Amino acid sequence: MAISSARESLSHALTNRFLPNLEYLLQGSILDSAVEHLMHRLKGLCDNVDTSPEPFHDLEVCMSLRQSQSNQPLLLRVRRALGRDAPFQMRYLGQPEVDIRRPTLVRSCMDCACTNGILDFLSEMGFRLEFEYIAKGYMFRKGRMKITVSKLIKIVPGKQQDMANEPISQSYIVELSVVAPTGQENVGEEMRVFAEQLKPLVQLEKIDYKRLGNLP
Amino acid sequence: MSNSVNISVETTCENQIREIAYDGTELYQPPPTLSESLAKCAARIDFSKTSLDNIKKEEKSAAAAADDDNKDANQFQESLWPWDAVRNKLKDAYTEICVLTDVISIAKDKRYLVLDPLLEEPDDTKPIVQVYSRKKAISQAAQVLLGGAERIRNAHSEQRSRNVSDFHIELLRLRQNWRLKKVSNAIIGDLSYRTAGSKFGMSGTFEVTKAEDALDDENSGNNTGGSANSSSSSSNNGMQLKASSALRVIVPSELQGVAYIKVITQKDQEDLCTAQVNLMGHGQNLTAQVGVWQKTLEFAQNVLFCKELFAQLAREAIQLQAPIPHVVIGNQIRATLLPNIQLIISLCHSTSFDSSQPAPINDHDHVLEHSLHQLLREVHYKNSHHPFPHPASAPLGPSKKRMLAGPTAADRDALLDMTKTQTILEQIIAQAQHIFMRKRTQYVLDTLARDVKDPQIVSHWNAMNSPTMSCVKINIVTHGYDAIGRTSLVIHVKERSLKCICRDGRVMRLSYEPQELRDLILCQINSHQISCLVSLARCMAWTVLSNSNHLGIGKVEPLGNASSCLLASPNSDRMIAVQIRCDPQIDVKVYIARSPRQDFFPSPLVPEKFWENLGGNFKEVRFDKIEGKSFLNKMEFLMASLTSNTA
Repeated sequence: MAISSARESLSHALTNRFLPNLEYLLQGSILDSAVEHLMHRLKGLCDNVDTSPEPFHDLEVCMSLRQSQSNQPLLLRVRRALGRDAPFQMRYLGQPEVDIRRPTLVRSCMDCACTNGILDFLSEMGFRLEFEYIAKGYMFRKGRMKITVSKLIKIVPGKQQDMANEPISQSYIVELSVVAPTGQENVGEEMRVFAEQLKPLVQLEKIDYKRLGNLP
Repeated sequence: MSNSVNISVETTCENQIREIAYDGTELYQPPPTLSESLAKCAARIDFSKTSLDNIKKEEKSAAAAADDDNKDANQFQESLWPWDAVRNKLKDAYTEICVLTDVISIAKDKRYLVLDPLLEEPDDTKPIVQVYSRKKAISQAAQVLLGGAERIRNAHSEQRSRNVSDFHIELLRLRQNWRLKKVSNAIIGDLSYRTAGSKFGMSGTFEVTKAEDALDDENSGNNTGGSANSSSSSSNNGMQLKASSALRVIVPSELQGVAYIKVITQKDQEDLCTAQVNLMGHGQNLTAQVGVWQKTLEFAQNVLFCKELFAQLAREAIQLQAPIPHVVIGNQIRATLLPNIQLIISLCHSTSFDSSQPAPINDHDHVLEHSLHQLLREVHYKNSHHPFPHPASAPLGPSKKRMLAGPTAADRDALLDMTKTQTILEQIIAQAQHIFMRKRTQYVLDTLARDVKDPQIVSHWNAMNSPTMSCVKINIVTHGYDAIGRTSLVIHVKERSLKCICRDGRVMRLSYEPQELRDLILCQINSHQISCLVSLARCMAWTVLSNSNHLGIGKVEPLGNASSCLLASPNSDRMIAVQIRCDPQIDVKVYIARSPRQDFFPSPLVPEKFWENLGGNFKEVRFDKIEGKSFLNKMEFLMASLTSNTA
């Protein structure tokens, strides 16, 4: 367990004035028909098996800002838990590095809790809506690893709250991620070992977005 | 080149030297003529070797043939005629070919001879040997099988006769309740609380083996399962010493025996309350079902738990900076709760069961026992149960409160507050202090209720309370006059202080000194008596001229003082003055005065009778002689008698 006490991380943040975090990510997908098996296996593998898996229902909005000096727009993702009184989360994700030597995809990331005025604020700054979707599913925890099994739901513009929104596909996306400070190389290995244990059900891989074409 | 050296070069001789003369001249053999060399080559042909293989062999042994040259030469010289050898060989070959043609012609004609393929003669093996070897192998295999069957039959019969449970069944039961894994040939179990969130470094591994036989069992009972056996025989759950199990667990020596944590609250070396954390009583039902090992493992786990608890407490005791520092000596932690009152937590670990088994402590505080147990469990739970973030992309780890710190713009102090957590020792000290304060408050209230009979003091303790706060409601009533007046107040008993909330909304904070509470209650009794008297006077049509709850005479107390009341009869010819003091005992003084006096004698100073209406001298009434059960009752009689006099 690498979660240090709150006091330690606070003093660390104060001395370094910066939280250089990296997200280690593995992704995969599983068909709706097999997701039950995966849930059973995750229940067996993850911490706190006595409690039922934690459900979540989030709306993610991706905002982009055209930058004059580069043709790559700046993307910020704002995520909100639906039907729950929790602060919004704004997230910046850096360019993913797909290094053959590393077992996972690695990207720098920055998380920030915000009030609900963040979307208006970003719009005022000149950000434009890039895309939005609803992620609904379950999350698990194993040490510092977070495993989410979620269904991505397409949003008909202007009808965020509508229950009639259609799922994007007939499968669930499975993500295994760890957010850790830079310089912790054993994270990737830990994740690879865990991903091995899910092997026949779901193939967790590092997915290179650049190869997927023009998808954002 | 001027100084060059001449080197003579001559060819090696091509021909063989036939003779060397005495003068050294060498006579060479003349080279053979063509016919001679042809004859020599022809002589070397072996006409019997015609097959391809032989020719190849010939080529391979070319080097060897070179050596034979000399011998051939000798033969050649000895023979009469150079082509004699060739002729002989050709002749032999011719004979052979003739024989071959004869054989072929005979075979082809099939008149005289028929060629049949011949059956190849099998190896000359004796069948009897084979039979014997097979028989031997089969008998060996049979012996192995019979031996195995015999062992199984023995095991079964033994099991049936001794009623010994099967090792594998026991292992299955063990596996249902404990963590086991197989390491090469051994079975290793883990009884530590690590999977439940403990971070204690001590290992809790144990080994599972098969008990060999009863004798071995007894031997092992002395060193490993001794405590379990003796305890099970002493406990009355029906476990017998004889009930030997097929499975034996070997617990590391540091986890053997019995451990418990003794908590003593001490006041001036005198024990006030003692708690003993001892989880040995758990799982009795389970033990009856399964073997002795369950007991052994539970004991060992209890030892581990107690050790972890004590280590944690000792670490905190050293780190905490209390006004009076905590002392850790050996297996004992001393902390000061209140002046002269100490909390002593000690770890008792005895490996030999019966000798150091302490006498059962009568003053067993289950609450404190439970608290200590629960506090460490809570730490374990918090270690393993982190809240899930919402939305799901938020980082894992920070608490919900800290996630809100950014959006709600929490300041530095608020953030620092979030990092503060109470240690187990702080919490247990707070709880012990509270228990002590509660006992003390109970004691003060009970003694007052016993000593003060006149207004009755009724205290209601809330059944539901937190470990560090409880609540008592006090009602002060006079028997028979409940409807006239009732004084109630609520006291919150905290860790080191009391908080009193009176009916009029006054809030008073008291320290841990019992005298303060006593004074407060006495003052409340005073004011109760006066306020009831005032109500009673109104009922009886008397006029309240004045009343005061704080006269300011006598000892000045911060919480209350002597109180008084002045009453006048309906036609204002009588007055009653009442003063109640509360230090150190409740002391009531009643005075009466009448005006005008019935007998009036004019004097130079008071010439007219109407001056008498100003009031007269007060005379003290011997209050204790007045009939009546209580103060109010007496006052009622007094007022009634004074009223009737005027009528």
